[in-house]
Amino acid sequence: MKFLAVVQLTFRESFAKKTFMGFLGISTFICLLFLFALNLDIVDGAQSYISIFGQEADQLIDLQKILLGLEGGVAVLLFTAGIFLSLFATSNLIPSLLRQGSIDLLISKPLSRTQILLGRYLGAISIVGFNIFYLVIFSWLIISIKTTIWNFGFLFAGFAIILTFAILFSLMTLMGIITRSGPFSLMITYLILFISPFLLQRDAIYALLSAKIYGYILDGLYYFLPRTAELGLITQQFVRGIPVTAWSAALTSIIFAIVMLASSSLIFSRKNF
Amino acid sequence: MCAIQTSGLTKYYSGGKVKALEDFTINVEKGQIFSLLGPNGAGKSTFVKIMLGIVHPTRGNATILDKNIRDYSVHSNIGYLAENHRFPEFLTAKQVLYYYGKMSGVEKEVLDEKIPQLLKTVKLQDWINVKIRKYSKGMLQRLGLAQALINDPEILFLDEPTDGIDPVGRREVRDLLKLLREQGKTIFLNSHLLSEVELVSDQAAILKNGRMIEKGTIEDFISVKQQYQLKLENGQQQINSVCQKLNIPMTSQNGMYTVSIEDDAQLNHLIDQLREQKTNIQAVIPRKITLEDFFIKVLETGEGMGK
Repeated sequence: MKFLAVVQLTFRESFAKKTFMGFLGISTFICLLFLFALNLDIVDGAQSYISIFGQEADQLIDLQKILLGLEGGVAVLLFTAGIFLSLFATSNLIPSLLRQGSIDLLISKPLSRTQILLGRYLGAISIVGFNIFYLVIFSWLIISIKTTIWNFGFLFAGFAIILTFAILFSLMTLMGIITRSGPFSLMITYLILFISPFLLQRDAIYALLSAKIYGYILDGLYYFLPRTAELGLITQQFVRGIPVTAWSAALTSIIFAIVMLASSSLIFSRKNF
Repeated sequence: MCAIQTSGLTKYYSGGKVKALEDFTINVEKGQIFSLLGPNGAGKSTFVKIMLGIVHPTRGNATILDKNIRDYSVHSNIGYLAENHRFPEFLTAKQVLYYYGKMSGVEKEVLDEKIPQLLKTVKLQDWINVKIRKYSKGMLQRLGLAQALINDPEILFLDEPTDGIDPVGRREVRDLLKLLREQGKTIFLNSHLLSEVELVSDQAAILKNGRMIEKGTIEDFISVKQQYQLKLENGQQQINSVCQKLNIPMTSQNGMYTVSIEDDAQLNHLIDQLREQKTNIQAVIPRKITLEDFFIKVLETGEGMGK
């Protein structure tokens, strides 16, 4: 219960930020768009005429394609802009936790420092999870009702997006603990987020380099850092209902998050405030 | 059982270049108000932070209610008002007490009953649902005090509790502290306001540059040994002659005569002599100084145990 209070307080603190309100507003707008602007005239149960804002498509389109197009679009939006916004909105959660006058009060409570940190971490995950599932569940319901196809893989994609955020936020937590700077933590996390697609092409990069050591470094970085590009691929595979081929990417990324959180906890436990 | 016990508590920063606290040893009995005095940077807040696990000691041991301070479970019995505390501004007073109460392990049902009571005690009952970003410094301080009491703690650590509170409010805080002492709570007080400390504290210690230079009861601090003030009715001539005869140094101010005597026997002899001369003695009062006078004297001369 004591630990849950930290999670709840973090949730409230995040919810008080305008960024999350904006996120929620955009999600609501997208849901309303699907609800009122998207019309499907099902012709023979598998095919449909689609119209958006009254503009009809020229020919019959496979319902499955419509569904995958819409849900895939939402997943891409959440995986890119959603995570980008969520990281931005939560970047100050750890530095604000460490402020004088605030951290003193929390440590004086019957909670271990690890519990305080983990409570903060889970609070951030819960607010982002709430925002992402708000859009995922409502858009899934609307699309499923309109197409009469219930794609449960889309819901799993929501989990994959939250997992990706949780992995990246673990890095931001460590950076926040070390530097106490929200903007700096955010910059490093964005750097890691954007470096992933390049590391996926490490063989091509290595071909341009002469020394073997570069290959080891690139491989080391590839396996150690979060493999966000492949996590994006997993998200799309969930949406499309095809077997996931990159479980190792999820596994090594989760190990990365555990290492980040354990390091954060260790450093946080030794700090004086 | 001692409420607080420390032995050789020391905190160095920057590899020993900054000595925030050095070899600090105290025992605070249960049910006392103990004050820690000292100029800015003397180590008062460092000590409280060490006791609460906010700062790790370089060496030394400390217990609260016989539990090692590393055991955070003891915090269930502690209330803490931090200096310059900061609550999330988007919360109302009720929500602050709810969340911090829950973090202290207080059940929801208890909180529902206790929050209005506590806010009434600190005179914030009319502000219960107002976001605290609208509060003045004094109101935030009162809320901090309520937060420190939310778990009905056995020990209270209060760092500058009357900071920003007006004189009437300060008096109310003083009365509250006395009431809490009557309820058997132990209060550890850090304050710059020596006049207040003098009014409520049982014991105090003075810190200077991280070292304890004096420790004792407030009564010991402010009493001047072997000096008494006599209030007489028209007895100026008599006391002058008796003091001359007994070779007792005497000064007078505003109708009060201050005598420096060697021992109790000499005081009794002086009184006997005055009575023989039919002098009406209205009062014999041990001479006292203010805690502020004592504090400044100790700091300036460096007198005390640490010297």
